[in-house]
Amino acid sequence: MQFTTSPSIPSSSLKGGSSIHSRSDIIHSMAAFSFTRCLVRSYFCVKCVDHVQTRLQTTTRMFCVSTSRSTQFTDTEVQDILTKITGLDLKKVFQPIRQQLTPPKYKLMTDTELEEAVRKAEEQAKHLLKMPPVLPERKPINDVLSEDQMLEGMNTAKYVFTDINFNVPHRERFIVVREPSGTLRKATWNERDRIIQVYFPKEGRKITPPPIFKEENLRVVFEQDRHEDVLNQCVVQFEPDSAEFKNVLMLTYEDIEKHGKYDLLRSTRFFGGFAWHLVNGRRIDGLLVDMLQRDLMQDAVRLVRLFNLVHPQSESAQHAQRQQATDLNLLKIYAQYESNRAGFIELAVQTYEQTKAPSSF
Amino acid sequence: MQVSFLQSGAVSQAEHRWVKCPRRQHRHQCVPWRELQIIALSSSMQMLHLRGHKFGQHARRSRTPQHPNMAAVTRLCCVLRLSFEGVGTLRALGGAAHFSHLARHSAPQYAPVTAALQQNRHSSFFNKLTADELWRGVLAESGAGARKGRGKRTKRKVKKDLNRGQNLGEGRAGYLWPGLNSPVYRDGSIQKPSQRGEAEQKEVTAALERQRDEWDKRRKTKIKRERGWTGFSWGGISLGPPDPGPNGETYEDFDSRVIEVKSVFNVTAKESRKRSISALVAVGNGNGAAGFALGKAADKNTALRKAKNRAMHYLYYIERYNNHTIYHDIESKFKRTTLRMKKQNKGYGLRCHRAVITLCKLIGIEDMYAKVDGSVNLLNITRALFHGLANQETHQNLADKKQLNVVEFRAEQGALPIVVAQPQLGARKEPEVEDDVPNTRLHWADVKASQGVKRSVWAGVKRTIW
Repeated sequence: MQFTTSPSIPSSSLKGGSSIHSRSDIIHSMAAFSFTRCLVRSYFCVKCVDHVQTRLQTTTRMFCVSTSRSTQFTDTEVQDILTKITGLDLKKVFQPIRQQLTPPKYKLMTDTELEEAVRKAEEQAKHLLKMPPVLPERKPINDVLSEDQMLEGMNTAKYVFTDINFNVPHRERFIVVREPSGTLRKATWNERDRIIQVYFPKEGRKITPPPIFKEENLRVVFEQDRHEDVLNQCVVQFEPDSAEFKNVLMLTYEDIEKHGKYDLLRSTRFFGGFAWHLVNGRRIDGLLVDMLQRDLMQDAVRLVRLFNLVHPQSESAQHAQRQQATDLNLLKIYAQYESNRAGFIELAVQTYEQTKAPSSF
Repeated sequence: MQVSFLQSGAVSQAEHRWVKCPRRQHRHQCVPWRELQIIALSSSMQMLHLRGHKFGQHARRSRTPQHPNMAAVTRLCCVLRLSFEGVGTLRALGGAAHFSHLARHSAPQYAPVTAALQQNRHSSFFNKLTADELWRGVLAESGAGARKGRGKRTKRKVKKDLNRGQNLGEGRAGYLWPGLNSPVYRDGSIQKPSQRGEAEQKEVTAALERQRDEWDKRRKTKIKRERGWTGFSWGGISLGPPDPGPNGETYEDFDSRVIEVKSVFNVTAKESRKRSISALVAVGNGNGAAGFALGKAADKNTALRKAKNRAMHYLYYIERYNNHTIYHDIESKFKRTTLRMKKQNKGYGLRCHRAVITLCKLIGIEDMYAKVDGSVNLLNITRALFHGLANQETHQNLADKKQLNVVEFRAEQGALPIVVAQPQLGARKEPEVEDDVPNTRLHWADVKASQGVKRSVWAGVKRTIW
């Protein structure tokens, strides 16, 4: 693992003025910036979880954070379980998108060629199903660089100074604000997002968030079962560690959980995050029941295993650990100790066993 | 009125002498001599004034006694040809009220002669001929002008039924005849003929006038004809469903559209050029069943009807892909007409020749591009289209022919392979050999269009109204 040392920033490259830091301060801030940059640069392209995973692991090792013991979203085992329960329905993943239509092309293929084509499609589908990252919420920036009383009342508006060097990563950009009262402070996260969108526009992202993300509008959209569209737009508009992003995600997840519309997100890239959210909130009953209703036994078992991973102190986890339970026994243990819908789960397991047992003969 | 005089030949004292009819075309026929009133005039001119002249009909002999003037002109032998303007006054004769109606419009004018011309007829050709015969004379439908297509298109007179609105018993004087226009019995007693009052009679005549005017107005109103491909052409006009068949079968779900109406001539021995109308009509139910036929007749409506009903006997069934387009690009040639058709995606529309659009709508094809090269003869275009579409190769046929799976790739669905047809006997092991350069013939116009070099403003037009 390397730290990429960022180049020192000469003052001439900054637009306007910045207060002078000592060299050590700069180095420390550089270090801090760099590791978050390495961390978040990979999050910037939201599809690369692997880099993220290594970075986070190293960061935990470096800083000895107390969360090192508990399972994280980026653990291999967790990711494996989540990808498996997301499923891979090619027809849903490759749904026709809104674009200029062209006449279709035809190929004559043998069976082997057809299988090859299906395999290629599945690979592309896996690439499309990479999950957006689950990050802790970013801490607000309250850094004041200088207080100049004599500038008070000179301007009527705030001035924002931005470093628009092309080779500077966005997380490391200097964006400072001179208030009319004379204080020079670092820009808040919202201001930073807006300013960066002005100078380095990203496709699909608006400068002010569109009104669809307001609660009353979200309610309307949820009634039309368009959760996936909302989440796609949210991923494009907001940064993964921003408060608005987490808020919209939570509202969506709550609505799905409330109405039991689990199938809307199955085979999309948001199912993993959704399942993680439920597992963390210890509310996997609804999802379990839905899986059992659709005869997805393996997925239900994996979900319970994930639950045990995330909450090793829970009763079901301890019992399972003691009994070294596998497969359906896990389900039974979970149903016995943790679940609110125990009856349904047990009944479903029994019927599955009955249907499976004669077929195995 | 041009009056021609003839030489009165041997004049005799006989009462019913028949002389030759003065009118040119009826010269071979005779009219009673008594009908001619010849009045002696000044010494410079002698005119024979004719009135109430019968056209080629030997009427019944009049019972009027010999006129005293007749004797005076028996010795007349001079023939003069004179023409003078105007129509002689025609006093109303007893009988047709319409005669007076017509008479009102003729302005009485007199030729500059010294003596007064007196016309006094009790009967004339008006009441000696039937209405049909009179109208035949007025309309002149079968004259030399009507033959060989010499008649002008706009100068047609319209026949009007003059007896409409007439009641037996109604007249100008306004008499009430019991049994005809008034009840026979009133309060138990038999009525006698009486007369209406002045005011009431005026009212009745005014009402009748108004009714006739209303009828005239309604007759004159023009019904707007549905517009085809252009304002005057009959192409693209719908004729409704074909007529029901002899065994009672109806074709309500079929719609018929005219493709072409043209007048064609055939040279015969008897009449030099015989004109007839040829109509090309196509029928279709919008679900793959369609056909076309040619009908010929002397008048347009008959030709259209013949073609429409004949087309039902020549139906094709055309397979469509997903009910909106063809299976693959087709290039079909018939005589000197080439028709290149291209498969398109949903929502593309029909960007074709207007006749091809009409036919595709009848078949049920919604999205296609077609280009007509070579001759633009509509019959040949129709035949090329139907032959090409009927000989399409469906995906299942292709799969069975090649023993391979037919797999579809759509741009909007990424790399997903959609299997549209599998061979019935299973796919073979050897893959299809494909050249690096596909063996298709390119057309310069299509290459230009695909590269965006084409400068026509009509290039990508998608018509929604036809």
